[in-house]
Amino acid sequence: MDASSMEIKNKSIGVYQPGKIKKSKKDRFIKEFRDNKMLYLMTLPGIIVLLIFCYVPMSGIYMAFTDYNIKQGIFGSKFVGFQNFLYFFTDGGMALRVTYNTIILNVFYIITGLVFPISISIFLNEINSKIFKKATQMFLFFPYFLSWVVIGAIIYSLFSSDVGVVNTILKSFGMEPVRWYAEPKYWKAILVGANVWKWTGYSTIVYLAAMVNFDYALYEAAIVDGATKFQQIRSITLPLIKPTAVVLTLLSVGRIFYGDFAMIYGIVGDNGVLSNATTVIDTYVYSAMRTLGFSLASAIGLYQSVMGLILVTLTNHLAKKINDGEGLF
Amino acid sequence: MKKSLSDRIFVFLAYTFLALFALFCLYPLLLTLGVSLSDENTVAVKGYSLIPEKFSLDTYKYLFINSGQRIIRSYGITIFVTTAGTLSALLITAMMAFALSIKTLKYRNIIAAYSNFTIIFSAGMIPWYIVCVNYLHFSNNILGLICPYLLSVWNLFLLRSYFQAIPDSIIESAKIDGANYFQIFAGIAVPLTSTGLLTVGMMYALQYWNDWWLSVMFITKRDLFPLQYYLFNIMSNVQALTSGRVSNIGSKISLPTETVKMAVTVVAIGPIIFIYPFIQRYFVKGIMAGAVKG
Repeated sequence: MDASSMEIKNKSIGVYQPGKIKKSKKDRFIKEFRDNKMLYLMTLPGIIVLLIFCYVPMSGIYMAFTDYNIKQGIFGSKFVGFQNFLYFFTDGGMALRVTYNTIILNVFYIITGLVFPISISIFLNEINSKIFKKATQMFLFFPYFLSWVVIGAIIYSLFSSDVGVVNTILKSFGMEPVRWYAEPKYWKAILVGANVWKWTGYSTIVYLAAMVNFDYALYEAAIVDGATKFQQIRSITLPLIKPTAVVLTLLSVGRIFYGDFAMIYGIVGDNGVLSNATTVIDTYVYSAMRTLGFSLASAIGLYQSVMGLILVTLTNHLAKKINDGEGLF
Repeated sequence: MKKSLSDRIFVFLAYTFLALFALFCLYPLLLTLGVSLSDENTVAVKGYSLIPEKFSLDTYKYLFINSGQRIIRSYGITIFVTTAGTLSALLITAMMAFALSIKTLKYRNIIAAYSNFTIIFSAGMIPWYIVCVNYLHFSNNILGLICPYLLSVWNLFLLRSYFQAIPDSIIESAKIDGANYFQIFAGIAVPLTSTGLLTVGMMYALQYWNDWWLSVMFITKRDLFPLQYYLFNIMSNVQALTSGRVSNIGSKISLPTETVKMAVTVVAIGPIIFIYPFIQRYFVKGIMAGAVKG
């Protein structure tokens, strides 16, 4: 008699054996790994990568509560409680400034990220000329492929004081040239413009993807009823596109505490004159690491992560409410 | 069918707006190219302009004679990092995505949640940096430019959706024939999802090609500068000078001339511009697939 028929026999007797059940749970656990050994092995490299670069650093969160020095290591350094956070939020810290910069820039990114891609995808959808459509899409999408360093160099070619195109144009109209790289007040607008430049093509594709699934019969019915294009867009396209827009906006709102380090650093670099207007939490963490030490920098980073976690959870909850239980993650 | 006036206005508006926006996207690129092909002295006097007033290839000649070695070395670093990084990242991601797509794998949801959590919460840059530098010794190490990007969770789930589209019956019948899961993965699943793999592979390649953040973190030796970081260094020297913090007078820093900066930018954009028409559609597919999931 083999093992499996023994099991059936045991079951059919139906004797209550608590120890046995516990053991069989553990057995099933082991059996699952033995049966699917190859599959679990295949997930292993990925699991290790995430472990090393995401989970192991989480233990370093403790650093934010210490006065870290390299000799004593993270867990040997002196515990100082919330002192690092206090510093960041009071005298020397820039908490308010950098949080404001991060959020206000993101708010502008979100607004422009709705207006431009939605209007462009609507226009593209209404245009008959295939060549024009293809060419426009191609030009719009290209900036997505460029790094922020390259974009930084391109912005320099536009705004450099001596040779930049913008100043040349200003001069040709008889206006005073502006020393852009020494004038902080213009830079939020320039950053928003750069963000539009890089991302509009990408987001347009997302909205066009949503439009592919629209029911064409609705438009035909509207045309029969004599609706103009404006009316069709207002009463059919916009309501249909709303769910996509809501999901994308919620995703961005969830990340409102995160700035784009590569973007800011690639465009503005270490330019101290502009930093008041352009420093976001991420770039501040980096400069704090170099000037104020690891502990304080990691405290600022932790503040960002926790705020981020709260917002992501909130927006996910909101998305579930709006989308009938379908969250963002 | 006769179009109403309002519709004609609409179509006119659509064409105008799109044309203007396309110009907005295109102009800065053409400007960069134009300046790099201009005569240095003309640019210094008249400023940047789209169409070279005096056409000249001198800048590129100068660039490759004076710092050709450097640029070629940086190119080499970037190409190595992009190739090695993309291939390993793709293998790691595809194996994991395939495993997570098999419905009989009992703990696949736990592994998926384990991956998902890393999107929602991170420890921040500093602990990550300490792990990388103190324990993994990534300072001035080319592995530091590759390893941190080996698994993107977004790409993992994108690829999983491609594997999920394979009918269960195909995998079942291969199992009955005695193939193990790795053989099924390599022999059946990979050929069936070649589009998805190409898409994700290109997304990784673009990330590696354009990355310079990891160089900011780990690289100080000039020999290991990837292309993008090489450009970043040129530009940040320039910025320090133009913001007026550093005085140029009497300093030893030689300011790269205007046309050289733009020529390096063109070199850094490099092959992307040539392969863009061919790879564009894969990215569009990837973004669309991701959008449908989102």
